[in-house]
Amino acid sequence: MLFQIRNLIKVYGSRTVLDIPELDFEKGTTYALLGPNGSGKTTLLEILSLLMPPTTGAITYKDTAIDFKANNLTALRREIVMVQQNPVLFTTTVYKNLAFGLKIRGIPKLERERIIEGSLDLVGMRSFLHAEAHKLSGGETQRVAIARALTCSPKVMFFDEPTSNVDVENQITIERIMTEINTQKKISVIFTTHNLTQASRLSRQVIFLFEGRKVSSMYENIFNAKIIGEEDGKQICLIQDRVKIFLKTEKEGNVRLAIDPLEIRILTGQDPLVTNNIFKGKVMQLTDEGEQIRAVAEIGIPLNILLPKTVLKESPVHIGDHVRIYCPLEAVQIF
Amino acid sequence: MDLLIDSVLSAILLLWSLDPEVYFIIYVSLKVSLSSTLIASVLGVPTGFIIAFREFRGKRVVITTLNSLLALPTVVVGLTVYAFISRKGLLGILDLLYTQTAIVIGQVILIFPIVASLTIAAISRIDDRYRKTAMTLGATPFQTAMVIFREARFGIIAAIIASFGRVIAEIGISMMLGGNAKGFTRTMTTAMALEYDKGEFVLGVALGIVLLIISFTMNIFFNYLQGRTRV
Repeated sequence: MLFQIRNLIKVYGSRTVLDIPELDFEKGTTYALLGPNGSGKTTLLEILSLLMPPTTGAITYKDTAIDFKANNLTALRREIVMVQQNPVLFTTTVYKNLAFGLKIRGIPKLERERIIEGSLDLVGMRSFLHAEAHKLSGGETQRVAIARALTCSPKVMFFDEPTSNVDVENQITIERIMTEINTQKKISVIFTTHNLTQASRLSRQVIFLFEGRKVSSMYENIFNAKIIGEEDGKQICLIQDRVKIFLKTEKEGNVRLAIDPLEIRILTGQDPLVTNNIFKGKVMQLTDEGEQIRAVAEIGIPLNILLPKTVLKESPVHIGDHVRIYCPLEAVQIF
Repeated sequence: MDLLIDSVLSAILLLWSLDPEVYFIIYVSLKVSLSSTLIASVLGVPTGFIIAFREFRGKRVVITTLNSLLALPTVVVGLTVYAFISRKGLLGILDLLYTQTAIVIGQVILIFPIVASLTIAAISRIDDRYRKTAMTLGATPFQTAMVIFREARFGIIAAIIASFGRVIAEIGISMMLGGNAKGFTRTMTTAMALEYDKGEFVLGVALGIVLLIISFTMNIFFNYLQGRTRV
């Protein structure tokens, strides 16, 4: 096992930003940490990359417990490299940026040059070898930062929102690089994103985080809403002042709710024996995500729906179709 | 106006004639100012770095104190050091009063807070991502500190320039601790003050021109250095 996390808690002041009772990462695999801003993704990455200690809890790396108070963290850190969201390059040339990790590891100059050129080749930045690092664009900076991390020959690489600030062309390149790092160099990859499509496409397993906790896939379709009344023992909730939905809750006033995309159904034949929570909508987007198809439907709010491919084969849905969408009561959860 | 033009022309002639007295005054000024800047930098830069880099109890108090000392009047430093090194003072036995060393001691006390404070400001401005980047690339705490130091180098150079500017132009400490002894502790500023008292402007203006040239030269040199080290 690469990492084993047990009862991990990170507190800033009086706010608990991370509370994970149990989470394991296997060697050689790509994982995606998915969650909205403030869900604790970056904090978890920084703890795992030994850049900050947890408040409480235990972490093992390759079955050895990590002691965050020990002096040997630098040795462990040399196996784990993190590429930050908006990475910074040192105020010098691209070459010297890449040489940094090698120099501090005492790699001889000739060997350094070979490794640096190889790393730059992998990210397609060889021609920038002697360029001034601070003159690179956002996408180029990100790629050089990845190459710089690669020169350290890590066992694990963390990427924090690797494509959040780059153009589409660089996004495709970076995703390719991340795949090659895992498949060719056999480096374990853990990355954060708030893009489920990217998470599903690049990783073998997606871990959902919400408000510092590991949650099921229902993390999607999160909305601010308000309980405005009650009817037939069910509460009526107004989502973003536009869409009324029925649910069962004891909470009142303003709430945050999530609608599980796996529970939502697109009605094609007869309606279920209910009259509530059926919405008229239009299919705006369809994406192939392996076993499932992701549909985004506009019902006054954008709603993500995950449909098994078998269901779609029986009742095909196309972009632009006007459909009726059913959200069962149990699909709606209040936080 | 005529007086100023005459003085400037005579001053240029005086400098052109390579008058030994004038050049000795310039030499003493540069010697004590460069010495005090060097010593204050050796002490102040690491101090500022440690204060900025480390978290400890009373950090805010230390920074506030250093910032307050930025406005330290030269006469206060002069008087304090005088109290220590005068014949009746604690260090009177060392016989330092009215020596170049005394001027250097006073000037170091004057600019140490400047170097330290501006170094703290330069280090604090460095984005925390540099620290995290160095650490994640496998740097030891010392190597990480060196990365921060390197990234803050422009600010630190500026701190040293500011400190040199302060001492080369100060007069209180040089006068009170150096005594303005001709051929020994007379600096450009003390000589200018003396010439003014005598109603003689030529030497004063000549030294003023030299002060400006030194100031410009230092700034051009450091700007060049910054440009070179930017890559």
